[in-house]
Amino acid sequence: MNDNANTPEKKNGCAGCGCGEGNGAPTSRSDARRGFMFKLGAGLLGIGGALAAIPIVGYVLGPARTRYKNEWVDLGALSKFPGGQTRFATFLNPIRQPTDGDSAKTACWVRCIESGKFQVFAINCAHLGCPVHWFEQSKLFMCPCHGGVYYQDGSRAAGPPPRGLFEYKWKVEGGKLLIDAGRLPGLEESA
Amino acid sequence: MMHLRVASVFLCAMLAIVVACERLPGAPKASIPVVVGSPSWTLATFNTNCRGCHSQGAEGAALPLVNPGYWKIANDDQITKVIALGQGVSMPGYLDENGGPFSADEIDALVKGMRSMWGGEPHDGNPVLPGTISPTLVVGDAVAGALVFESACANCHGANGPAGSVTDPMYLRLISDQGLWSAVVYGRSELGSPPWNSPMPNHPNGLTPTEVADVVSWLATKRTQ
Amino acid sequence: MILARILALAKIPIEWIELRTGAIAFSKPMLFHHVPRSAKWWYVFGSATLMFFTIQIVTGVCLGTMYAPSAAQAWESLRYIDEDVPFGWMLRALHGWSSTAMVVMMVIHMLQVFLHGSFKFPRELNWITGVFLLLTVLALAFTGQVMRWDQDAYWGLGIGAAIVDRVPIFGDQMRGLLLGGPIIGGETLNRFFALHVFILPGAAIALVGVHMTLIIKNGISEMPKPGAVVVPSTYRKEFEERMEKTGVPFFPDAVQRDMVFCGTCLIILIILAASFGPFGPGGMPDPTLIDTNPRPDYPFMWIFGAVSLLPPASETAIMLITPAIGVLILIAVPFLSNSGERAPSRRPGMVLVAVFVVMAIVALTYEGVTSPWSPVMDAWSSLATPAQFIKGRTPLQVQGAVVFQSVQCRNCHELGGFGGKRGPALDEISTRLSPDQLVRQIQQGGGNMPAFGKNLNSAQMSALVAFLGTLRPENEPDSKIPGANLPLPTSMSPPDRGVLTR
Repeated sequence: MNDNANTPEKKNGCAGCGCGEGNGAPTSRSDARRGFMFKLGAGLLGIGGALAAIPIVGYVLGPARTRYKNEWVDLGALSKFPGGQTRFATFLNPIRQPTDGDSAKTACWVRCIESGKFQVFAINCAHLGCPVHWFEQSKLFMCPCHGGVYYQDGSRAAGPPPRGLFEYKWKVEGGKLLIDAGRLPGLEESA
Repeated sequence: MMHLRVASVFLCAMLAIVVACERLPGAPKASIPVVVGSPSWTLATFNTNCRGCHSQGAEGAALPLVNPGYWKIANDDQITKVIALGQGVSMPGYLDENGGPFSADEIDALVKGMRSMWGGEPHDGNPVLPGTISPTLVVGDAVAGALVFESACANCHGANGPAGSVTDPMYLRLISDQGLWSAVVYGRSELGSPPWNSPMPNHPNGLTPTEVADVVSWLATKRTQ
Repeated sequence: MILARILALAKIPIEWIELRTGAIAFSKPMLFHHVPRSAKWWYVFGSATLMFFTIQIVTGVCLGTMYAPSAAQAWESLRYIDEDVPFGWMLRALHGWSSTAMVVMMVIHMLQVFLHGSFKFPRELNWITGVFLLLTVLALAFTGQVMRWDQDAYWGLGIGAAIVDRVPIFGDQMRGLLLGGPIIGGETLNRFFALHVFILPGAAIALVGVHMTLIIKNGISEMPKPGAVVVPSTYRKEFEERMEKTGVPFFPDAVQRDMVFCGTCLIILIILAASFGPFGPGGMPDPTLIDTNPRPDYPFMWIFGAVSLLPPASETAIMLITPAIGVLILIAVPFLSNSGERAPSRRPGMVLVAVFVVMAIVALTYEGVTSPWSPVMDAWSSLATPAQFIKGRTPLQVQGAVVFQSVQCRNCHELGGFGGKRGPALDEISTRLSPDQLVRQIQQGGGNMPAFGKNLNSAQMSALVAFLGTLRPENEPDSKIPGANLPLPTSMSPPDRGVLTR
């Protein structure tokens, strides 16, 4: 702050280097010494800045890392999913944070092809992720956003989706249907 | 003086905004949760889920529900069952267990709500009053039914009748016995199909409940032919 | 007398401050710089944009004191602001309407600058900072929509995530960065909150500062005159001479139009906010409530429309590359032509480009609003078959109408003017397709219609085709297409009374 009132001092280049000798520093310092101080300051700032940047960049970029693991989620007793039918099911996402609120809830469509054989579809349209809706009578999934339509086996029937519905891995354990769920399904998921 | 007047008008306008803020047209209405079973809920539920097929008058392809004549005969348990489980080829089950959107309580509330809007007193159908008909399907005598059909129905609904054939196996495969029974009993007056107790050829007083059962049983046998 | 003494007293602190800050010396050139005499009503839109931006900052800071930036509570806190906080809804309404108004004014301002060629030498950087301001303000609008944290916000984020996910190789990581994790959740909202209230407003303020400094430095451009060409080597000198001779001071000469226009805008804004209220919040942000029809806010409706009209084979490339190309072209505008004629009448090609872009955006917005490609999800169960299509039909045909409703044909096809618009309206379908063609179309689908073959039994198919066969204009008894007059699945020959077919 005091530097401002002391304009001649600015010429010495000390205001910028952050060294404590800025105030009232004699003008008779040798050029060599001045050059060294400047380099030292730049070096210290550079090292300090880099050290400070590591946690900041790491914090900001953290979510890009794929440290999250899917988990097996219980969708309920097999009796909830009669053969030949497609049913709506919901679960709490295993990857959730304390502040998620309702958004940790997730929905999916469970198709029981026959007893013990399932297809579990993500609720998200393969086009741009809107929630698809199952219509039992026409045996179609329809999307309200851009008109994607899928057959009962999840394959694309009409509209803009580039592929069929995303499917969760499933298994049956102790009379219950489990799916491998977590991250929002995306195109890198295999069909 | 002029300035004073402008200023006072301006002040009044500001005051009005402050006082009337909660009454301006843009003020959001306080969120009132929709109570299941309230008339507005019933109507909205019906309009979204049922009206497509079960409307009123000549509108809608299936049996109209906005129709006091229907509610006079129909039985609440029967309606609840049909809504929950579905019926025939085209009526899906609306109970959540059957893949539908409603809980059992919501279906009960819907039936009660529709009855209070369009029907009057609940009707359990028992005992059957003279001149009324059992609200549920009764198995009749198919052989007798053939004769009833020929004398009372065939004129209009026979294979080449002007109202279109009801013995077409394709038609019969799409409609359940209960559906046939409802079609005979309620008719659709707006479309020229009279209810069971209106005058018909050779039956000036309409059909009897037995004749209705017989003719439905006979039609059911035609389905598989 | 008293007034003079008060003024004299007031001078003391003003001089005291001026001596230490130089504030008056600093702002004098801003207020009194000369602007062209010809700068009339065309020049008010930038000021209006700035005014709306100021309103955004004031109302935004106010809302920030009540809004809970947490996925678990944001929606509740908005309801609280709307319903319980005095003037709460009014502030939300002002913030929402002013955001729309800012986008509108900015686009008009940009169009005016483009059409008048004001971006030419020496104002290239005015234009480029303007482009970055446009991007910042659009980003503010999108993140603002996320702040509502309702179903539209949730699924809008889903659409954004799905687009980012399509980036080759790094798609997954970029999606993680956008959402703040592998799902749309608490961290997503906080991430967008930080963008909406810290990063983007900071960027906007800085850019506005640069934009304004450049205006002072380069002066306001004159109204374009045909023949008055921009020659970079001599322009600045001649411009400054003209300003010296014929210019008028910004304050109070030019500013009065800005004041009239901004005042009018402000009053219209308040009337809009008071009449139509705040935007949303819509349904609760519970992703298991799937009876929802996600739509973006108006500034993004054209993108929503565009992504549904793209050919599926190339849409990923188009979705990812077009925005980058668009921004590059906008930035390149002043480099592609920074001298010569400015008058629109001498630059008909540029006028055509502007007209084309505006028309494309308006058309795509219209498409986005009407969304004819979207099935109407509850049409089958809520829209009754109109009476004129039931009356005089045979029982099989009426059953066909039941099938029509129950297998959701209506979700994509209109009947009597109501229903989905994805497929053609079917009111007169029997004049276009014979029964055979109908069967084939329904069974095999095609032309963006799914195949129903496996899902309809023969009875349903016959009834449906019988019903569709009756759909023709009232005074047109028969189809004009060959083969359509063959007997329908149900006999329509003249009555033969008393015969009982067994």
